[in-house]
Parts: sequence; C-alpha cells; structure tokens
Amino acid sequence: MKTLITLEITRTLRNKKFMFFSILYPALLFLLIAGGASEKELVKGTNLTLPLLMMVSMASFGAITAVLVGNSERIAKEREKGWVRQLRLTALPGRGYVAAKVASAAVVSLPSILVVFAVAVAVKNVRLDAWQWGALTGSIWAGSIVFAALGVALGYLVSGDAVRPVTMIVYFALSMLGGLWMPTTTFPDWLQSVAKWTPTYAYAALGHSIEGGDAPHLKDVGLLLAYLVVFAGCAAWLYRKDTRKA
Amino acid sequence: MTTTASVNTGDGRRTGAPVVSFENVSKNYGTVRAVSDLSLDLYPGETVALLGPNGAGKSSTLDLLLGLRNPDAGRVEIFGTTPQQAILQGRVGAMLQTGGLMEEVKVREIVKLACDLHPKAFPVEQVLEAADLTGIADRMVNKLSGGQEQRVRFAMATAGANDLIVLDEPTTGMDVSARQAFWGVMREQTRQGRTVLFATHYLEEADAIADRVIVLRGGKLLADGSAAEIKAKAGARRIVFDLDQPVGEGALRELPFLSSLEVSGRTVRIQSHDADATVHALYGLGLYPRNLEVAGLGLEQAFLAINDAATAEEAAK
Repeated sequence: MKTLITLEITRTLRNKKFMFFSILYPALLFLLIAGGASEKELVKGTNLTLPLLMMVSMASFGAITAVLVGNSERIAKEREKGWVRQLRLTALPGRGYVAAKVASAAVVSLPSILVVFAVAVAVKNVRLDAWQWGALTGSIWAGSIVFAALGVALGYLVSGDAVRPVTMIVYFALSMLGGLWMPTTTFPDWLQSVAKWTPTYAYAALGHSIEGGDAPHLKDVGLLLAYLVVFAGCAAWLYRKDTRKA
Repeated sequence: MTTTASVNTGDGRRTGAPVVSFENVSKNYGTVRAVSDLSLDLYPGETVALLGPNGAGKSSTLDLLLGLRNPDAGRVEIFGTTPQQAILQGRVGAMLQTGGLMEEVKVREIVKLACDLHPKAFPVEQVLEAADLTGIADRMVNKLSGGQEQRVRFAMATAGANDLIVLDEPTTGMDVSARQAFWGVMREQTRQGRTVLFATHYLEEADAIADRVIVLRGGKLLADGSAAEIKAKAGARRIVFDLDQPVGEGALRELPFLSSLEVSGRTVRIQSHDADATVHALYGLGLYPRNLEVAGLGLEQAFLAINDAATAEEAAK
C-alpha cells in the first residue's frame, strides 16, 4: 500500500499543469479579491479585515480545489479505463486505493495553502502569531480530508463525461455558498442561515476562529466530522456497489 | 442428443481438491442471461482454454471467477474459499482485457507496484525480464503500443507465485513472435504445477497449448474435454471432392456418418464421424469423386461444427 501511495504522489507531482493551476489559482484569486482592500477596516459582522478573511477562505478554497477536483476526475477516469478493476485483482485492500488518493491530494493541497499565506504576508502585510500560523495550516490541511472524501464519492457516483461538470457545479456551489469567495455577511438573511450548514462554511470558520485568536468552534468541527462520515460512507458504499458492476 | 461432452481425460491428473469450482452459477444483466447454470471444476496443473463465440459468456465467467461480479445464483470458489479471499492470499494472478493501467508512471514503477502488493512476489527485475519489458522499463505506460501494454498486464498478472493464472484474450495485439514468447513463458508456469485458464479467439492457440478445452455458448457449457475429444465430437474428418456433374443434395444425404454436408457447384464438402465408411458408401452410390481429400478437422472447424449443431438444435426446438 505504501508503494501505491508513493506512486500516486509521484505521478501527481509529475502532472505539472495540474500542480501549477492548483497552487497558483487560489493565490491569484486572493490578490484579485483582497488586493485593494483595507488592511485596517473590519468586514461587517466579523472581527476580521478582508485580507485576513480572504486569506483563510482562499487557502481553504485552494485545498478544496486540489482534493476535490483532482480526485473525482481521476477516479472516474480510472474506473472507466479499468485501472480500478486491475487493482481489485491484487491483494490491495479496498481502502488502500482511497487512502492513496487522499494522500496524493494532500500533497497538492499543502503547497496551495502555504502559497496563499505567503502572498497574504508579502502583499497585504498579514501578521499573526506563530501558533496561529501552525494551527491554520494544520486545521485547513486536515479539514481538506472531508472534501477529498467527497471527491472520491463523486468519482464513484458519476462517470465519464459527466464527472467534470458535476464536480464543477458541486465545487462552485459549495465555494460560493460557504462564503469562500465573498463573506457570507453580504448574503441575504435566508441565504446566510442556509450557508451556515454547508461544509465549506464550517471549514473556513475553523480558520477564521483561529485568526480571531480563538480555538475553532465545536459546532464547526462537529459539522465537518458529520460531513466526513457522510462523504466517506458514501464513498465506501459506492466502492462496494462498483464491485458488482465494475 | 446431449450437447455436453463428458469430461474424462483419464490422464490421472484430476486428483486432489479442485482449484476452481463453479456450482450451478447463473448471472443475469437485466433480462440478458450471461451465464446459465454453469457447473465446472478445474484441477491443479491443468491448462484450460475457454472458447466461445462473442457473447458466449466468457468474460462474464472470468469476472465471476475473479469476484469482480457476484453470481445471482450458485457458488464460485477458488481453493475452497471466495475469489476475493484467494486474491488477497496472493494465489490468483489475472490479466483482463478490460484491465486498465495507471497513467503517468513508468513501466518499472507499475510492475514494482504489482510486486509490492503481491504476498508472494518475485523480484521486480525477474518479472520485467520474463515479460520482455526490461528494454522499455523506463518508458511511460501511456506511451506504449497495444502489444507492449499487454505485456505490462501480463507482468502484473505474474508478479508473484500464483497457483492459478487467469488470462482473458492474452495475446490480442501481440505480433507472432511476441505471441510465441508469451506462450513459452506460460508453459514454464504450468510446468511448475500452476493452473492456467485462458479465454481466446485464436483457436490454434487453444489447440496447441491447452490440455483441456471448455466451449461456452449462450452462457452454457457446450463441450468440455481435450482438444482431441472436441474434434472427435465435432465429426472427426473432413472430406472434399469434385464431381463430374452436379448431383442433388438428397442423394448425398444418404451417406452414413455425416455430420455436415455442403455442395457448391461440383464441389462437395463433408464432415464425417467415420470417413472410411463414408467414402466407401460414396463409391457405392455409383459416384466417382475426383481430387478426393480426407483430412482431420482443426479445432477451429470442430468448434464451428459444434456451434452450428447447437444452433440447429435450438432452431429445431
């Protein structure tokens, strides 16, 4: 299983286009949204400035891009090409494949998080305590597992040509609704109450709490864990179902 | 008339527990019956060819055997356990037509992966060498030709000491020399006591390599025996001759031991269970056959004959 994980990571690193896109895209989007924003003024309804808010949002967005988009498309493609079938004929346990996919996704998501941080520090003078940087990196990186599981589930749920559009819809809907692109406080009230229950909102909220100097809220952590159970459960169920019709 | 030849090679090799056991296995896809009440056992050391026209259920049978699909009814066992369990124990190596390869990796990397995943693996270099991949070990998998890809699949299927090797159309896409080299390696495997089951379209391969031939049709077992037995069952000999003037088919139908008759112009083609008696009777009809040829059937013709007979029988029902 270690060999498969290493191999998945190696080939992800070899895919320069995907790496480049996944790593730089969130940082560029950060500059676009927060580039001209005030470094002092707080965003309405929060205790954070726009650059601070967007730094975490974009780091989260970048991590999601890496783990969700990459995974679902690859898995759908590998199912179609019969690689998953081929792997079923080896002594690899079923979870080995999923573990390797999540691990290789994590390799892409970490640099994309760090690049957003670096740009925020260099361009928008974001300053935080050392523990906050550590906690931010850790929580955003760890939280991305939820979306990696969603990516695996989507890869098994949808096949062929449909996987890209379906993934994109889920990805954009979750990103926008969860307030990764603009603070949810700009939404109408009814939408704000919906947004609070999305996994993306809870995900970004982890980082926002840390920036505010607090520990992440239990509610957000709980919500993310619940989503993880649902997504991973779906992925596992779909994997077994795929055994019957692969 | 029963359509299933009995199995009795009498070579004394069918001892011990079966390697593979199908017990009244059926599988439907929607309303299509892919495998129908199939029962069969494979024994250690056998080299078995699985034949059948397209849609006969060969691939479905292999999928069921390997646990990629579950039967709707009946039981499939490998070494007395489930296919999944046997695979996890590293006792089964398989090469599927539909098996894809990982992209963006080198040949050596994917073969190493197969070796690392195998509980009883051979050294990577040895596996590469046996599959004739040493020369292209550093090439990317997605840049290979069809025949080279087949060799990579073969390497993955033989990465460790399997007791059973399952091959679905293994030499498709290979040129003649690659095909010969491939079967050379497979013979080495059976010499070491491994059981090999392969589905093929090339009947000459089955004829030359298999010591047992299983013919499927419409998901059912149509014939099971040695290549020689299958040929005998189909009508052992082919008789071809020309006549000075055309003769009505009716007269020729009277000939004894006929299994098939085809008249085109002055040329007559006959398949007979007893060629000597048929030819004798031919003269008895007062006919004078010219350019008379009597030859044994190849497995391919035997296969077609069995298949045609089954079609005719179905049509008669």
